[in-house]
Amino acid sequence: MRPTERGTDVSDADQGWEDESPERLYVITGGRSGVSGKSASLDLVTLIVSKTGPRPGMQPEHATIMRLCHSPLSVAELSAYMRLPISVLTVLLGDLLSDSHVIARAPVPPAQLPDRALIEAVIHGLQKL
Amino acid sequence: MVREGSSPGGSRPASVLAWFVPAAVTAVVAGVATATVPSQASTPVVWIGVVATAAVAVVTGELARRGRVIAELREQDVTQQEVLARQESESVRLSTELLPELVARLGHGEFPEDVLASMGEQLTRHAQEAGLTPEFTAAHEAVLRSMLDAVVAEEDLRDSAQRAFVNIARRVQAIVHQQAQELREMEDRHGHTPDVFGDLLRLDHGTALIGRLADSIAVLGGARPGRQWSRAVPLFSVLRGAMSRIIDYQRVELHSVSEVAVVGPAVEPLIHALAELLDNATRYSPPQTRVHLTAVEVQSGIAVEIEDGGVSMSEEARKRAERMLEQAQQGIDVNDLGETPRLGLAVVGRLAQVYNFQVSLRTSAYGGVRAVLIVPQDLITTAPATGRAHGIGASSGPLTARTEHTTPAPATAGPAQAAPPAAVRPVSAPVPAPAAPAAPVIPREEDIRDDFMDDLPPVTERSATGLPQRRRKTRATAPVASPAPPAAPAPVTASPAPAPDDAPPVQPGMWLAAFQSGLSGESQTSAPAGASGVAGAARESDESSEKSE
Repeated sequence: MRPTERGTDVSDADQGWEDESPERLYVITGGRSGVSGKSASLDLVTLIVSKTGPRPGMQPEHATIMRLCHSPLSVAELSAYMRLPISVLTVLLGDLLSDSHVIARAPVPPAQLPDRALIEAVIHGLQKL
Repeated sequence: MVREGSSPGGSRPASVLAWFVPAAVTAVVAGVATATVPSQASTPVVWIGVVATAAVAVVTGELARRGRVIAELREQDVTQQEVLARQESESVRLSTELLPELVARLGHGEFPEDVLASMGEQLTRHAQEAGLTPEFTAAHEAVLRSMLDAVVAEEDLRDSAQRAFVNIARRVQAIVHQQAQELREMEDRHGHTPDVFGDLLRLDHGTALIGRLADSIAVLGGARPGRQWSRAVPLFSVLRGAMSRIIDYQRVELHSVSEVAVVGPAVEPLIHALAELLDNATRYSPPQTRVHLTAVEVQSGIAVEIEDGGVSMSEEARKRAERMLEQAQQGIDVNDLGETPRLGLAVVGRLAQVYNFQVSLRTSAYGGVRAVLIVPQDLITTAPATGRAHGIGASSGPLTARTEHTTPAPATAGPAQAAPPAAVRPVSAPVPAPAAPAAPVIPREEDIRDDFMDDLPPVTERSATGLPQRRRKTRATAPVASPAPPAAPAPVTASPAPAPDDAPPVQPGMWLAAFQSGLSGESQTSAPAGASGVAGAARESDESSEKSE
């Protein structure tokens, strides 16, 4: 496992990505592009939670996902933090899912939030105050 | 001619004698004949005798002169033979010693003028010792000079050819680099459409292969392999960078890698050398076999091992390969590469020479070839590299937040850590406080987050700073949701329910518990304290269950 680069990373956050890494994305995914497999069911707002911490011997990206997903994170967020395209992430998550290192959960369905009329009523009520 | 007077001097009395004796004998015989013949015949006899004597004297005189000339000529012949032999040996020396020396010295990069001056001096000294004519020496010097000119001209030609090589390679590299960058942007843009993304990956791969070829040409032309890296790059990234430049990267199995970084200037050469070795390994082993790539620390640096399960090299082939490496270390002649150039080893050798890599090829335990490349210690830095490899620095989002905390240090990401929560708690609790009047339900949300994040404070913070859009939305709608009876929690329970199926579903459970308690229980003002209590309890059980895992 790589040590997490704490302080240094912050300063790097604004650096251009291309300057940073000699490895290309296809090496990270092993040539897969996430067309098929278990990862197909993932979408941008699927929440990912890791079951454990990163394990030694994991690919760094897997380890990072495990670390980040200690709390539930959506696929989109993971993609943003790791600066990897969604497809790469779905491939990586597919690996972790099939080894059941992480759990994927459907996001809170927005339709099941309180209905619009109620919200409007509350807003009106508040405005009248 | 000059020596005519001196050398035949010894033989002169003999020749005079030889010239005298026949004439004298003839004269005596004539006298005797004159005395013995009757007196009336004596007069003609005397005349005949005189004539005969004179004739004999003339003939012998002529003979003697010729004999002398012949002797002189012989003498001359001998001396000239000697000169010839000396000249011959000098010519031999020119071809066997001087010219090779000239070429060798030029090869070592001495200036042609210097070489010619010192060689000319040597030549004249030798000529004087050997007694050769200045003309001969001058001729030899002319030979040397024209030889030198030819070599220099050839060298110039090769230099300009190499420069042309490098120039073209540089242009290709620039295009490839540009292309790779654009591809990367496209990959980001089309990351959500797997079909396009897959195609982009293939294009990307092809581009990387072209880039490697251009790098090889540049290296053979005596230039650097390609782009410069201004900062150290983790070895793991370097190895994967090497993998990304070969065709069969999927067959390469990357094993344990020591956690070091490679200093910037050595990154590209190392990637390139390893890519060539990996290419060799994958190319000369059966397609279904794996190639193993490991990097371990050794006394002298880092040893990167590439092992394939292909056909083993015969001892002879191995020797040839190593010889090729060695030759390449002394410099590559582009003309020597042949029609179907096997650039790989030549490139590796060249890079090894410039950057002090040690490369050796041995028979692998798998039967194939085991290539070991040792990166010297001074190209390794133990400090964690600042270069962010994919995913390695991926905690950047949370990290930005973490540095804003006052007590961030002990909050590590270790899942089983018991101590951090105590430190984290005070941090996360005050954060929502200022926001509380505006959005009363925030504390509750904090609790929810806290359960997961008891040792990942940044995420807590992040929700407060409202970094991700999604969470903001939840918070905005939450106030309305709280008065609404179990409407809000219910769907939440429903959705995660299928997920925690087999494994210890600690966190989801806790999440729910905290959520519900936060919803149902506390008043708005007391929310932080109560909630944190609940969350604390939840966390404890969380931890214990995690430890038991």
